[in-house]
Amino acid sequence: MTRSSVVKWIVIASAAILALAAGSYFGVRTLQPKPAATRPATGLLGTTLPDVEGQPQRIEQWRGKVVVVNFWATWCAPCREEMPLFVRVQNEWGERGLQFVGIAVDQVEKVKPFARELELNYPILIGGFGAMELSRALGNTVMALPFTVIIDRQGNIAYEQLGVVKPETLRRTLETLL
Amino acid sequence: MDTVPTSTGSPRKRPRVDAWQTCVALALVGAGVWPVELSAAEPKLLPPEQAFRFAARALDERTLEARFTIANGYYLYRDKLKFAVTEGVIANASLPPGKMKTDEFFGRVETYRGTVVVKLPLSAPISGRTLVLAADSQGCADAGVCYPPTQQKVTLELPAVGRGPGKLVDASPEKKNWFN
Repeated sequence: MTRSSVVKWIVIASAAILALAAGSYFGVRTLQPKPAATRPATGLLGTTLPDVEGQPQRIEQWRGKVVVVNFWATWCAPCREEMPLFVRVQNEWGERGLQFVGIAVDQVEKVKPFARELELNYPILIGGFGAMELSRALGNTVMALPFTVIIDRQGNIAYEQLGVVKPETLRRTLETLL
Repeated sequence: MDTVPTSTGSPRKRPRVDAWQTCVALALVGAGVWPVELSAAEPKLLPPEQAFRFAARALDERTLEARFTIANGYYLYRDKLKFAVTEGVIANASLPPGKMKTDEFFGRVETYRGTVVVKLPLSAPISGRTLVLAADSQGCADAGVCYPPTQQKVTLELPAVGRGPGKLVDASPEKKNWFN
């Protein structure tokens, strides 16, 4: 092997190592939204859960709108972090047919004061720990929170995200669906 | 099986181009395709029982030792750690101090990272008996997700008086899967 070819292979090897490092860093560290492999949200739409007043609410009632279903809990700091964004976006785009729905993996007495404090302007349904199973069926296989799915006007799941939703990603996705 | 170059030009030119093409291709794969491939699959997050591995052993006939091995990039809340036994009573579980963290929502909270070892003295010796130690824990990943409270259990046999500590028992025996 000549000297120049040794140098070449060193360059190739370092490029490969760098590329692999970059790939695994961005691939693993960011919780990317799942590309829209559109499938019907039948199970979710057919779900009935009590709201904070104890009234049963079927998710189907919002069919025809673009529905953002957010699984969250009061004990989950990243969940609480992103909820003011949801309040803002609901305010801005509600009239265009956008409906946020929160499903709390929590107890009603913990949810109520929190909903008041944050001035939530969208319904919160009380799912308890059973709601984790519901989220698993939607693709939350790790069963962690927050977990968010967006249902399009046709009742299909257009987007799902484990972890905090990036504001620009949310707005961009909703723009295409509304 | 090298092909002999038929051109009259420098035969060394061709391998050089190939090498650089390989280099560019590798860089492209690394920077572009690789992360997309990974992120198209589920995010690489561990299930709670792997992120927060629980194990315990009996130190003697009246003392248990609980141990959490927390994966890198994950943490447990100190005030969410609870222990219970099916035999006897835990007299005084003194949790080691955690790392103070100021949370925007929860104020000052204590968290654990790495390994946490907790001594659990029982109110009375129960040598030779078997008990189940249940540990409740709740934690999060730095990646920005939290796990619901999880309970993990181990079955421990307490040694007879004067015998040494028992073996460390894992809560969930690791499933051998070389592809995970």
